[in-house]
Amino acid sequence: MIRVKNISKKFENGGAEVWAVNNVSFGLESGIFCAIIGKSGSGKSTLLAMLGALDKPSQGTIDVDGKDVTLMSEAKLIDYRRNRIGFVFQNYNLVPNLSALENVMLPLEFAGINKNDRKSRAKKLLLQVGISEDKHNRKPLHLSGGEQQRVSIARALANSPKFILADEPTGNLDSNTGRTIVDLLKRLAKSENTTIIAVTHDQTIADQAEVVLQMKDGKLSMK
Amino acid sequence: MSTISRGMRNAFRNGLRTLSITVILAMSIAMALIMLMAMKTVEMKIESVKSSVGNTITVTPAGVRGFEGGGELLGSDDLATIQKTDNVSEVTAIVSERLNSDDTNLESPIEPGSFGERQNNRGYNGGGVPPESSSGDRKFTMPVTVTGIDNLENLSALNMSKLEITAGEKFLSGSEDKIALVGKDLAQKNNLNVGSIFSAFNQEIKVLGLFDAGNTFANAQLIMPILCVQEISGQKNMYNSFIVQVDSVENLDKVGDSISSALEDKADVVSSAQSTESIIKPLENIKSISVYSLIGSVVAGSVIILLTMVMIVRERRREIGVLKAIGSSNYGIVSQFISEALCLTLISSVAGIILGALLSNPVLKVLVNNASADGASGVPGATPGRGMMRMVNAIPGIQNTFRDISAVLDWSIVLYGLVVALLIAIIGSMLPAYFIAKVRPAEVMRSE
Repeated sequence: MIRVKNISKKFENGGAEVWAVNNVSFGLESGIFCAIIGKSGSGKSTLLAMLGALDKPSQGTIDVDGKDVTLMSEAKLIDYRRNRIGFVFQNYNLVPNLSALENVMLPLEFAGINKNDRKSRAKKLLLQVGISEDKHNRKPLHLSGGEQQRVSIARALANSPKFILADEPTGNLDSNTGRTIVDLLKRLAKSENTTIIAVTHDQTIADQAEVVLQMKDGKLSMK
Repeated sequence: MSTISRGMRNAFRNGLRTLSITVILAMSIAMALIMLMAMKTVEMKIESVKSSVGNTITVTPAGVRGFEGGGELLGSDDLATIQKTDNVSEVTAIVSERLNSDDTNLESPIEPGSFGERQNNRGYNGGGVPPESSSGDRKFTMPVTVTGIDNLENLSALNMSKLEITAGEKFLSGSEDKIALVGKDLAQKNNLNVGSIFSAFNQEIKVLGLFDAGNTFANAQLIMPILCVQEISGQKNMYNSFIVQVDSVENLDKVGDSISSALEDKADVVSSAQSTESIIKPLENIKSISVYSLIGSVVAGSVIILLTMVMIVRERRREIGVLKAIGSSNYGIVSQFISEALCLTLISSVAGIILGALLSNPVLKVLVNNASADGASGVPGATPGRGMMRMVNAIPGIQNTFRDISAVLDWSIVLYGLVVALLIAIIGSMLPAYFIAKVRPAEVMRSE
């Protein structure tokens, strides 16, 4: 489970201090599908970056299964990102000159899994997210937006993370494909017992979430 | 797929850019290799010049060069002074004379030609006493040169590249007999054989042997025991020059200085170090140009790969953020970029080595032409005088120093080239590696 306590993130902007996230606290149990909604600039992506240890909060604590992420060394943070977190991005962020299969194999390589094992695991994950075998060796540019997002989800699942952090996962997709992706995330939350935190301003995602948090001017409120 | 192979694949991500970088870098590596080859070739040449010149000092009477100039010849006390000088291992004394038609019944095989006639008219050929021709016209003949020496093994003292006895035998050191070795052309012209008698300074001289020195001038000469020449020419205890052998090249300057100060203004002292210096100065210039160009090429290559990698890292900030977000360490990402830089550098190296091998000789020729032109025009002491030229020409192959210079490509140079390329890749990857480490994983969250 994750417990966020009084975290804030401050930026300097032309000499003035801007609090992108201001004294936010919440907690989530494992296997929950949570949506954080809010307008652009409300601080939801900054909050997600801190939850995923991509950025450090200016103050506050993030407790994951009894360990404070904000106090971790750089080496521990790499380990945390590699094994506990899976990221899904709005624009997929697949490595363009690697095939779908190779993209999914990347986090497994970083985790030190041997080549044969990571290949079979990546194939299994791609099939699980609905990418047929004939597309496994295609480069991202030769896949549709929905397919690229599925590959991105498969990559996020590679090291069986405790959390999947999704930043606007349907932002670049049409509504039908977006709905399929949300269904997929929901299904995975249950089957893999993974907590999914999706940042979105898409109300249809929020409608399917078990927990909805709203960000406004850096402050969080339960909806 | 490993970090290394991912880096290698990335090197070909943008075909046009890869081609452009490879071409520019290959030119830089080719330049570095050419300069490396030029440097090594010139170094070898300098060594060969030094070893062929040897560790000798020529001592001649002040104001006298061969048969030119004026002043007093050196004497036995001067010889003794030189022999007593520290680090002198051997002294070869020489007395030279010119026999004109009044002094000998021999006729030189060398035709005067326009050069000899001109020299004679200007009084350069031993006074030019011409015999009277049958028609009453005075016809000039070249004088016969006699070298009086004891040590027939000292070819540089004899100003010869070889001394091959074709008939008879050599005379012994210390001989006072009236005997001579006759150059093959002189012998042929005067129908001389071993045992023949000819006259010199009104003395009968017996032919002990015939020799071939491999060049027209030397083959028209006589070589006689020094004591004999001194006696018949009336120059007892007088010497035209001393060739001083020094125990090591390092002591050349010291011994030269000692002899100069001991003989004061009686003698001109020319050490082979000075001759070598003037010969190798243009080579040293080429070497300096090569070293600076080598450094320049390595720096240029490093800057090319550095800017390329900085550009690539800036372009792929988001991708670096993704790799960090999904669990890669800085070390892993830096390794990937270094292997990309190495891949680009290695491809460029192969092209550069081929280019370097093809262009090394033309570039070296340009360098040699420029450097030797500089050496001949204006560098003080670079243009050898007549006396020095005599010594220079006496050294086999020296006159071809510049003509036969050509770049040498061997495996050690290729290896050096690859090491240089590796150096370029590593230097060129250092700053990008720093930039990679500074990229925050949160870059990935940027919307663009």
